[in-house]
Amino acid sequence: MKYLISSLAVIIINLISAQVSLNINAIPRDVEVLIDGEKIGKTPLRDVIIRPGMHSFELKKKGYASLKHSVDVNPAESLKMDYYLNPIYSIKFFTEERGLSFELNDVHKWSKNKIRLEIEAGEHFLRVYQNKKIIDEQTFTVDEPKSIEYIIKKKISG
Amino acid sequence: MVRAIFLLLLCNLSAQSSQSIFLILNQYDNNSRSIDSSLNANFEGALFQFTEPVQELIADLEAEQYPAAARMGLVKRIGLEYDVEYIVNNQIKRNNNRLFLEGRVFSTRSGGLVLRRKIDLMNYRNGDLNELNLWVGQIIDLVYPGWIENREKILFLDPSDITYEKTPMGAAMRSLFVPGWGQAYSGKKFSSIFWAGLELSLSTAIILSYIGYDNAVKNFLQYKKQYDETDDVKEIASFRSLASKEHANHIKYNKLIISFAAATGTTWIANSVHAWVVGPRPSLKIYRKWDSTKTIAN
Repeated sequence: MKYLISSLAVIIINLISAQVSLNINAIPRDVEVLIDGEKIGKTPLRDVIIRPGMHSFELKKKGYASLKHSVDVNPAESLKMDYYLNPIYSIKFFTEERGLSFELNDVHKWSKNKIRLEIEAGEHFLRVYQNKKIIDEQTFTVDEPKSIEYIIKKKISG
Repeated sequence: MVRAIFLLLLCNLSAQSSQSIFLILNQYDNNSRSIDSSLNANFEGALFQFTEPVQELIADLEAEQYPAAARMGLVKRIGLEYDVEYIVNNQIKRNNNRLFLEGRVFSTRSGGLVLRRKIDLMNYRNGDLNELNLWVGQIIDLVYPGWIENREKILFLDPSDITYEKTPMGAAMRSLFVPGWGQAYSGKKFSSIFWAGLELSLSTAIILSYIGYDNAVKNFLQYKKQYDETDDVKEIASFRSLASKEHANHIKYNKLIISFAAATGTTWIANSVHAWVVGPRPSLKIYRKWDSTKTIAN
């Protein structure tokens, strides 16, 4: 019985002591933080206590791309995490060309001549199809809300 | 798509770090040795020992069950060999305009991994040196604000924080003040000339109509006076006819003034709205890059 109690005490002490103090900063400010799906608060967060081990972190703010990732938290005395969330810009994409379809970042596809996109700031990969054939691939940078026009200089013959 | 994570595992180093000796192991994917000398220059008060990377130290470290304690023996051995308290390892890679930096700090006393940091950033001019400065600076509590400012410069702005030199509203207000000015401000010379010319023509038409109206009124009053003063039957008929004609003219010019004034006002507003519509907005033209003869089947 004594052994059991002392073992339990050791386990409890270990559990109490094995806690990590967490500080989270983000640019921009007031980013909502979820740890393992549970809302913790808005950045900047100071001295949030978590247990060592694998944790999933999610950061959300309107107008910015959400960020999700997992961290294996070592039993260190403190954990400081700095995040930068990428803004989302409104893009008007259009073309005067006919019979084209587009693919953005290997994911989003459309064949309309005019479309409004909400995309993250940064580089994006555009693939252009005509008659189910790839006719162009290139990367462009989105650094502000803007309109983008796709232009084929020369008509394809045949 | 483009996303940055700064991850820093901190383990109460700062209190002791000012007297610490660091062994810096920098690994570059290209020849960036100048960074090491820059670090030496930036942290003159600290002691650095730059050496070739110890691959054994970090190889497959993340795959270990306990990465923090996986290299304890080796870390302690290197610590004794170089007589340092901390080993700082940085892996720096550049891919076009993207910077990857992974940093680790090992304590040679415990042999454990005490700090870890990952960076993945785009369009970061001289980012490797700046991040190493920040990283080492944070460890030894010596961070210059300029380094933080440098990092912040690369961040994309919130749409509400973006300021534009020229705006559609600026164009509209200019055109409201002087027709065509907003279009000229937006670089639309043809539109500018068109609206300015249209407004000028309509304004001229108002002035001409007013002159015609004024003449018609004056003539009408004159013929009416002459009509009242004369007893000659022929002159009465003539003045009456002339007065009637001027009266009709005065009504006609009056209507023209009202019509041209309405047209001028409407056109003025339309010119301002047009200036807003064609106003300066950020845009990008993407031209096809591929050669049309080299199409690839999907």
